[in-house]
Amino acid sequence: MSAAEASTLRLALVGNPNCGKTALFNQLTGSRQKVANYAGVTVERKEGRLHSSASGRSYAVLDLPGAYSLHAASLDEAVTRDVCRGFYPGEPAPDVLVCVVDATNLRLHLRFALEVRELGKPMILAVNMMDAALRRGIAIDLAALERELGVPVVETIAVKHGGARALVERIDAVAAQPHEPRTHLAEGADLHAETRRLLSLAVAMPTRTAKIDDALDRWLLHPVFGLLALIVVMFLIFQAVYAWATPMMDMIEAGTGWLGEQAGGLLPEGPLNSLLVDGIIGGLGGVVVFLPQILILFAFILALEESGYLPRAAFLLDRMMASAGLSGRSFIPLLSSFACAIPGIMATRSIQDPRDRLATILVAPLMTCSARLPVYALLIGAFVPDEKVGIFNQQGLVLFGLYAAGIASALLVSWVMKKWRRDKGEHALLLELPSYRIPHPRDLLIGLYERAMIFLKRVGGIILALTILLWFLLNFPAPPEGAMGPAIDYSFAGRIGHAMAVFFAPLGFNWQICIALIPGLAAREVAVASLATIYALSAADDDAAIQALTPVISDGWSLATALSLLVWFIYAPMCISTLATIKRETNSWKQMGFATFYLFALAYLASLVTYQVAKALGAG
Amino acid sequence: MDASLALQYAIIAVAVVVSAWVVVKKQFPGPLRKVRIALALPLLREDHAGWVRRIGRWIAPPGLTANGKACGGCDGCG
Repeated sequence: MSAAEASTLRLALVGNPNCGKTALFNQLTGSRQKVANYAGVTVERKEGRLHSSASGRSYAVLDLPGAYSLHAASLDEAVTRDVCRGFYPGEPAPDVLVCVVDATNLRLHLRFALEVRELGKPMILAVNMMDAALRRGIAIDLAALERELGVPVVETIAVKHGGARALVERIDAVAAQPHEPRTHLAEGADLHAETRRLLSLAVAMPTRTAKIDDALDRWLLHPVFGLLALIVVMFLIFQAVYAWATPMMDMIEAGTGWLGEQAGGLLPEGPLNSLLVDGIIGGLGGVVVFLPQILILFAFILALEESGYLPRAAFLLDRMMASAGLSGRSFIPLLSSFACAIPGIMATRSIQDPRDRLATILVAPLMTCSARLPVYALLIGAFVPDEKVGIFNQQGLVLFGLYAAGIASALLVSWVMKKWRRDKGEHALLLELPSYRIPHPRDLLIGLYERAMIFLKRVGGIILALTILLWFLLNFPAPPEGAMGPAIDYSFAGRIGHAMAVFFAPLGFNWQICIALIPGLAAREVAVASLATIYALSAADDDAAIQALTPVISDGWSLATALSLLVWFIYAPMCISTLATIKRETNSWKQMGFATFYLFALAYLASLVTYQVAKALGAG
Repeated sequence: MDASLALQYAIIAVAVVVSAWVVVKKQFPGPLRKVRIALALPLLREDHAGWVRRIGRWIAPPGLTANGKACGGCDGCG
């Protein structure tokens, strides 16, 4: 550690979940950080740098997981407790604690602030969301609060530009003269009683309640209309994914086609030309084209997160999920798994009941992650006509069906697990329902930027590497002198594909599909790039080679094969990273082995049944 | 084989080796670390020449830190 780093003051942002810590962290550090409006989103350590232009000082800012208490009841609360106390391995104790509280919910948040104060460290209380409090008519006397608490108190509006300026000034002041809190709780004093006392002295609540929240909740939490609204919202999202993405996808497709032509023209005919045009540009272009669909899906998910609707959805689904062996708390990790099962599995740390947590981890891979979307989009585009069914797009309907199948399967599997372990216990749901908010465009854009960067980083990293390796396996060794068949039959990949085809033939998979499944283990979307490369190289003539992949597979595969492959991708444990995360989070090879086995068995059986039934019905 | 073709094969060989390294590093970081340690340890013995020990240090994996590198998010794993 350098002298400059050693002398940098360390600030830690602590507070209840959903108090706006992460938004404040973004505001202070300019760091790109996911902002969400539900409990338990921050499950990992995030650090950024704050530079105060007024004092010229630099600070290391740590964004800690949200916690309701320092008496930890979940993994993320334990992390917060240990870091605050300076017990966390490898993590220096913070010099100043910035305790963030939600001005609209001080009854809950001040209790935690009192616990943090009792740690005896220099502390600043940031009363966040002051704008929302003012709109609701909540009057907070910050001077009285500061006097009674014995720590500096400052108002912040994390989502507004410059909304943390006063906080930075206070940080500078505390950094210049750090001091412990001036007051402490008396021995045996009750935190709730002290919170009530503080509220009576410093906070004047309006007589009217939050009318908008109540009015919306009357409908959105209704057992029938609420569920209907949830179904309609989800349904519209999948329609939009297809309807809005097409122009952008066409542009990307035309762009990669043009790039391939230019690159092919620059290099002489030969293996390097083939690697660049067939392997890299053809393969990566086939994956990048799905970026608009992924971004549209995430724009909706982020907006729902920020609006405060997601905890309501968790509440609505609690009874249904409990009957399936999960809890309402499982909803948010499972929804995160639509992006990627890995953060979803990590988000299960906020589930306190170990049985619920394990069940959620084991079914999270069944949620349709964004890496599956390119595969689904390719097959739907090839086999489902782009027609209207009433007012709905038929392709969007099928995509919705695939997502629904993943969700239904997850519920079914967790129900079987519940029956298996004969669990009749009650799993109560305790959930904070935040006020509704209009999503802030900046946070939405940051979220989308992050998602796009993650996707493009994968394209430029693991997917590019796998595409090159696959191209090598498809082209080497060269066919022997006088060989009559297509060159690919003599390659490493051709031989592997033909060997695997024996096992997968009952599912309707040809050898090309079998080859594509192997690199798909590292990143599912590579299956699409692989198919593009394989078909370009194994095409009978140049015309076939220059055709887009979609018409090639719609001509070459039966509908039964396409359905079987779609079903395979719903269930198959086709992601090594997810399995590694299951091992890490459960700390058990047994659980990881179980997840791999049941997912593989389910994928094989479901694909087998799908293919054989479709064939019997004349689709083969 | 003419020089142009030989150069093309050389570039392809480098690309394939680098790609294989990236895949192993991303997908199997634990086993890779163990292999690097196993390869580096014999080279780092005191009685070896300086240049052998330098190779050993180059092969050895960096030390594990408990800071935010191990984020576990999907941007780091794939």
